[in-house]
Amino acid sequence: MSEAAMAVVKPEMKSYIWVQTVDGSLQQVEEEVAMFCPMICQERLQTGMGSSKNYAISLPQRVNPAIFGLILDYCRFHQAPGRSNKERKTFDEKFIRMDTKKLCELTSAADSLQLKPLVDLTSRALARIIEGKTPEEIREAFHLPDDLTEEEKLEPLRNMTDDPRIRLLNRLYARKRKELKERQKLKNVVVEEERVDDRSVDDLLSFINSVDGDTKGTKTSKNKKKNRRRKDHIKDPSSINTNENFNKGLNALPPLCHNGVANNVSEASTSNHLRMQNLATVSFSSKHEFVDGGDDDDLDPAMKEELDREVEDFARRLNSDWPERMQEILSLGQERRLVPISVNGNCSTQIYTGLDRR
Amino acid sequence: MPRIAYAFPDEVLEHVFSFIHSDQDRNAISLVCKSWYEIERWCRRSIFVGNCYAVSPVMVVKRFPKLRSISLKGKPHFADFNLVPEDWGGYACPWIEAMASAYPWLEEIRLKRMVLTDESLELISKSFKNFQVLVLSSCEGFSTDGLAAIAANCRNLRELDLRESEVEDLSGHWLSQFPDSFTSLVSLNISCLGSEVSTCALERLLAGCPNLQSLRLNRAVPLEKLVNLLGRSPNLVELGTGAYTSEMQPDVFSDLSRAFVGCKQLKSLSGFWDAMPYYLPAVYPISSRLTSLNLSYATTESPYLVKLVSECRNLQRLWVMDYIEDSGLEALAVSCKDLRELRVFPSDPFGLEPNVALTERGLVSVSEGCPELQSVLYFCRQMSNAALVTIARNRPNMTRFRLCIIEPRKPDYLTLQPLDAGFGAIVEHCKNLRRLSLSGLLTDRVFEYIGSYGKKLEMLSVAFAGDSDLGLHYVLSGCDNLRKLEVRDCPFGDKALLANAAKLETMRSLWMSSCNVSFGACKLLGQKMPRLNVEVIIDERGPPDSMPESCLVEKLYIYRTVAGPRMDMPGFVWRMEGDSALRVS
Repeated sequence: MSEAAMAVVKPEMKSYIWVQTVDGSLQQVEEEVAMFCPMICQERLQTGMGSSKNYAISLPQRVNPAIFGLILDYCRFHQAPGRSNKERKTFDEKFIRMDTKKLCELTSAADSLQLKPLVDLTSRALARIIEGKTPEEIREAFHLPDDLTEEEKLEPLRNMTDDPRIRLLNRLYARKRKELKERQKLKNVVVEEERVDDRSVDDLLSFINSVDGDTKGTKTSKNKKKNRRRKDHIKDPSSINTNENFNKGLNALPPLCHNGVANNVSEASTSNHLRMQNLATVSFSSKHEFVDGGDDDDLDPAMKEELDREVEDFARRLNSDWPERMQEILSLGQERRLVPISVNGNCSTQIYTGLDRR
Repeated sequence: MPRIAYAFPDEVLEHVFSFIHSDQDRNAISLVCKSWYEIERWCRRSIFVGNCYAVSPVMVVKRFPKLRSISLKGKPHFADFNLVPEDWGGYACPWIEAMASAYPWLEEIRLKRMVLTDESLELISKSFKNFQVLVLSSCEGFSTDGLAAIAANCRNLRELDLRESEVEDLSGHWLSQFPDSFTSLVSLNISCLGSEVSTCALERLLAGCPNLQSLRLNRAVPLEKLVNLLGRSPNLVELGTGAYTSEMQPDVFSDLSRAFVGCKQLKSLSGFWDAMPYYLPAVYPISSRLTSLNLSYATTESPYLVKLVSECRNLQRLWVMDYIEDSGLEALAVSCKDLRELRVFPSDPFGLEPNVALTERGLVSVSEGCPELQSVLYFCRQMSNAALVTIARNRPNMTRFRLCIIEPRKPDYLTLQPLDAGFGAIVEHCKNLRRLSLSGLLTDRVFEYIGSYGKKLEMLSVAFAGDSDLGLHYVLSGCDNLRKLEVRDCPFGDKALLANAAKLETMRSLWMSSCNVSFGACKLLGQKMPRLNVEVIIDERGPPDSMPESCLVEKLYIYRTVAGPRMDMPGFVWRMEGDSALRVS
């Protein structure tokens, strides 16, 4: 037999066609199996390609030899007549078990070969992989970049314009507006500075402490107690660094400047946004005296013990977030110390130089 | 470490997304990366907006160009208890207008606690060529004229569901507006309508719609007419009867029974207004088929109630008045092993003395006997920690637990202790608990338990509970998945709120009324958190500016939003922002 004839007709009388994958390699595949793929079928029927090595059907770029092998397995099974639905289903379920990367390649390849049943099968499998996962987990599974900005992630619905220039402009305008607002307010805020109570965290802590057995709770006596407790607290070695710097830093500046600084920093690096929120919760003061519901009356010792424990617990929990927050607060605290209490128009400039010093 | 993403054409990815339907998964997809965000937004078909003020219609329309289905919720849940004044908001009009021009192929609109006008209904009926589903749950502001427009123009309407809405009933003739050629109706719920509807029109409608599966009539449809209607809709799966009362006529009784039997798919029954006790047994022949039974409008006692309930061996959902009593619930526990949801409503909530023998024992029996029980709403007059602990241990698979002890601040009736330990056991054992309502005497301790154990908790309702800010602090700092918190009459104040301000941006909303939150704190919160709307509802018409900082706020509603201040606030709602309250009108 001639070589050409041998190439096409094998002893079993099956006919074969030639295909070429994107890497250039050639292979022969059973015709009836390969023709199960609409793309190959179309190519073969319309152009007559595939009957010899030189006229091999070029497979789409997304089909590499390994994946093509899998696709052939699928086609070989499904094109055979006489299979029951149950058999097909069982085959499909087993067939689909592979790692995500391969599954993606398979979906992609099946799509380029227009093999819809396989596309559906693999797509459903991918959908199942995606379901129930967090965005981070999905990124992991599919090796996708984390390229949405923090801003976009936090406000996915707001990200209307994809033009980065517009977004940058918006940010600059917002910053400018805030600057102007700060400068305006600083001029008016000197008097208010006194009234500002920056011991918000301390407030909470001393409230906690004041719950402990302060049965004669009138407002004034509580205040006195608070001050005393605060000093005690500062002496506590575990909190000494954090508290002192924190207090000094915050006390040096009216709250509106906190806002200004905080916002500027957050503009600069939006990944700090969440930490800024934490800062906000800690730094803004409760200017208001805590109003106790009068629930300290006549605590019996067992109850008191319980309350002590609760109080400790609360304080511990409050402190446990601190290491992270403290980093931010400390660095900002340094800047704040630069700002004099008597405010002048140059205040804002000094804030910026403070940033540089970091 | 950057890796090369798997090469994937967009259309293929879109095809993968077409198999992913849950809102949570779609939201996760949109946050993966820029390209997935883009692809996802173009192929999103259905969206759920839990708070209509969290985002503007313009934004939604711009981001999702191909929506086919939208669900919106408006007023806070406590509006159901008349805590939200009239004209508070929740207007659907801007949404309908935006969608009318953007989505000619919109198919489904579902609204809950929103205000909708006849004009909007007319706009819906004329703007969406393939409109199919309209569900208006606890809505108001429209009349039967609007419904007439829907009936007349929506040729492909499948579902019209007015559950619990307040409809201005101008006439019952709107039903006749369905054209003769109309055949597509699958579900109709008009149970909230007050006045008569034309039975002729109903009969004609039913005759023309062979696919009708769910029909809930209103009270004005008499029992005698029900028989005819059932005859015309043999494929019914769900039926809400009208008034279930008539002079005792043996014909009617047997006809009714036969009609029930004739609906071979019938699985769910509701309605039963003014149910005459002796008509209940008409249901007996089909009781073993029933999976859902709502007898909460059957407001008279019946000696047949317990028997009926015990015969429904396949019951999954039961809503019933407390006439069922402990003994009835015990029988339920023995017979209905597939029970998943139980709601027991009070027959005499304002009476001072119990009028029925329903106590905590009933609920304990059900928790023991029904292994599939997941969802409970239970009104009663006494509860004990021991009972709650038993319930918790019996049913760790519970997902929704709402207990309403009728008298506020009632302690454990056996020990006179607060019910902290009992509810603590509930949150500790029921690890998948998503919704919880508290009642009875409760201290800060219960909130500590909730904060520690309620990690899957999404919605919490609190009234007359707690001692101090610690309570609120525990919940806000501990419940990782908390989405909605509603509080009334609790001594929660500024500290806990301000210390947990960041948490509020992770939640849908917070409602606090008659608590100890001051104007000053609200202003501070509003100032520091620009992505929250901090709305104060006040009784006096004057601006909060004139109020001293320490003055307490009567009603406070805080929700996260990317849409900024809302433009439709009435005179008594003020948005807090910095040193002065902002009014945008």
